[in-house]
Amino acid sequence: MKKIFSILSIAILVTAFSACSDDENGSSGNTLVLEFDNVVGTSNLVLNTSDQPYTNDHEEAFNVTWLTYYVSNIKLKREDGTVYEDKIKSDGSAGYYLVDEADAESHEITLKNIPAGDYTEVTFTIGVDANQVDQGAQTGPLDPANGLFWSWNSGYIFMAIEGTSPVCTEEGNAFAYHVGGYKEDPENENLINNIKTFTLSFKGDTAPVKADHQPQVHIIFDVLKFFKGTGANISFASNAARHTPKACEDIAGNIEGAFVVDHIHAD
Amino acid sequence: MRLATVFILTLLLSGCTDDDQPVKDPYAFETPSNFPSPVYTFENNPVSKRGVELGQMLFYDPVLSLDSSIACANCHQQAVAFSDPVHRFSRGVDDAAGFRNAPAIQNMAFQNNFFWDGGVKHLDFVPINAVTSKIEMAETLEHVVYKLNRSSFYPQKFKAAFGGDEITSQQMLYALSQFMNLMISANAKYDKYVRGDEHLTAEEAEGLELFENKCRVCHATDLFTDDSFRNNGLDASFEKDSGRERITEFEGDRGKFKVPGLRNVALTSPYMHDGRFNTLQQVLDHYASNVKNSETLDPVLKQGESLGIRLSEQEKLKLIAFLNTLSDNEFTHDKRFANPFVK
Repeated sequence: MKKIFSILSIAILVTAFSACSDDENGSSGNTLVLEFDNVVGTSNLVLNTSDQPYTNDHEEAFNVTWLTYYVSNIKLKREDGTVYEDKIKSDGSAGYYLVDEADAESHEITLKNIPAGDYTEVTFTIGVDANQVDQGAQTGPLDPANGLFWSWNSGYIFMAIEGTSPVCTEEGNAFAYHVGGYKEDPENENLINNIKTFTLSFKGDTAPVKADHQPQVHIIFDVLKFFKGTGANISFASNAARHTPKACEDIAGNIEGAFVVDHIHAD
Repeated sequence: MRLATVFILTLLLSGCTDDDQPVKDPYAFETPSNFPSPVYTFENNPVSKRGVELGQMLFYDPVLSLDSSIACANCHQQAVAFSDPVHRFSRGVDDAAGFRNAPAIQNMAFQNNFFWDGGVKHLDFVPINAVTSKIEMAETLEHVVYKLNRSSFYPQKFKAAFGGDEITSQQMLYALSQFMNLMISANAKYDKYVRGDEHLTAEEAEGLELFENKCRVCHATDLFTDDSFRNNGLDASFEKDSGRERITEFEGDRGKFKVPGLRNVALTSPYMHDGRFNTLQQVLDHYASNVKNSETLDPVLKQGESLGIRLSEQEKLKLIAFLNTLSDNEFTHDKRFANPFVK
C-alpha cells in the first residue's frame, strides 16, 4: 500500500511538473533559440587546455582561459519584413544575455512568446549601450557584482578573452583583451564607443517559428576571426594586456566579422 | 478664567502652526527653488524613508571594506560637507594612499559627472569605485553583498525597503543613492539671500559681484559648477595625474579636472584634485598670480597679457567673505545624514 502511494505521489508530482513546463511554453507563445557556438577556426573551443593548441595568423600558439560577451537588443526579421524585438527592462533583468564559454547553459538564448512566422535574419548588439548604463544600478546578467564592470571608468566589459601564448611578454605569458567603452557625449567626440550592432542573415534559409516548432539558429563566434579581421591582426607579442576603450578600439573592429549564422535547426 | 485663556491660546497657537506649515516629509526629494532640475533616474529608484535610512547605515558601516576598517564616512565627514578634513590623499585599507583628494558629497542628484576625472556618469556607480579600489576599501561587490546577506539585521531592512528575499548589489547601490540624493545643501546664507530672506553684508555683496564677473564662467548656476572639465593652470606638465585624459584617452584632455561645485567650500579644505592648497587665500593666490601655461590651459585663464584672473588683495578678501556665505550649517548638522550607529 505504501509503495502504491509513493508511486502515485511521484506520478502526481511528475504530472504537476510537466504541466508547469507546458504552461511556460504554452500554445500562445512560440520559441526560438539562438545558440552561440564559440570555435577557433575549424576546432571547437576548449578552455584551459594544458598545452597551447591554437595558432593565430602570426603563427603564435595560444590557449584560451576565458571567453565571455554580452548579447543584447535582439531583433528578428520575418520574411514579410516585420520585425520582432526582444524586450529590454531598464533594470537589466530582461533583454541582456551574458554568453560565457565556461557555462554551457549560457550558450543558448531562448526567446519565448515570439510571433509565429518564417524568420530570415537576426540583429543584435555586442555590448551594453548608454541607454542601459545610464539607467543606473542593474541586476541579473548586468549585476556589476558579476565582475564585468569597470569601476574607475564606469561601464561594462562586454567582450573579454584571456589566455596564454609563449610569445606574450606579460606576466605568466598571459594575454587579456577586455573590450569596453560605451560613452557618448555630443560635446566630446573623443570618447570611444566600441559597442557593435550588426545583422546576420540566415543566408536564404528560414527559421520557421510556429506551435510545436522551436527552431534553433546556430551562430558561430570564431576566435581566430576576432584576432584577425578588418579592425586588426592581433599579435600576442606586444600590447597584449588591454583594459581601456581606446586600447581595444582596433580589436573591437573585428567583432562583427567573427560572428556568422552557420545553420538553422528547423526544430 | 486664567486657565481657560491659556487653553484657548494654546488651541489658537497649535491651530496656527498646523495651518501655516503643513508638516513636510523629511524623506521626500525636493528640488530647491534656485537649483536646476535633478538628473538622477528617480523613475528607477525613488527616494523612500526606508531606503534612505538603509543608505545612511551603509554609509557609516565599515562592512563595505575588506577588513571592516573603512566606512564611506571615514573620508567623507559630515562636519565638513562630507569631505576629508585631514588628508590631502585619504587613507584606505592597510593605510594605502590614494592620489586624489576626497571630494565633498552634496547635491549629487543634480550632477552628470562624478570624480575628478568624470569616469563615472551615474550616481549609482559612484560607491563601486570606492568599494572596489585597492587604495580605498579593497573589497569586491560580490563579497560585500555576501556579507550583507549573512548579517543579522540587514536582510530584514533590505526586504522592508526593496522587497525580495535576497540582497542584491543593485539594492545596496540604490540605498546609497537614495541617501546621497537626499544630501542637498541649499540653506546657506547665500541661499537665504537669493530667496529674499536674508541680507548679505557689504563685503559679502561686493564679493558676490566679483564672483559673478570673474568666477561664474566655470562655477555656474547655484550648484557653482558647469559640470565641465578644465585645466586651471596648476601645473605645466601632468606626469603625476593626467586627469580627464585618463578617461577619454585623448591628449587634448590632459590635465583637465572636473570643475568642483563650491558649496560649503570654506569647509572642504584642502583644495584642488591633489589637495595642494590648505586655504581659500592660497587658491585665490593661485588664480591671481601662479597660473601655469600648457597646451590645454583653459582659454578663460589665457585672456589678456598675463595668465589667470586679475585680483587685488582686497578683492580676494571680498571673494573669501562671499565664499563663506556658501557654508550650510543645517546641512552639516542634519540628523538624517548623521552616524546612525551613534545614539
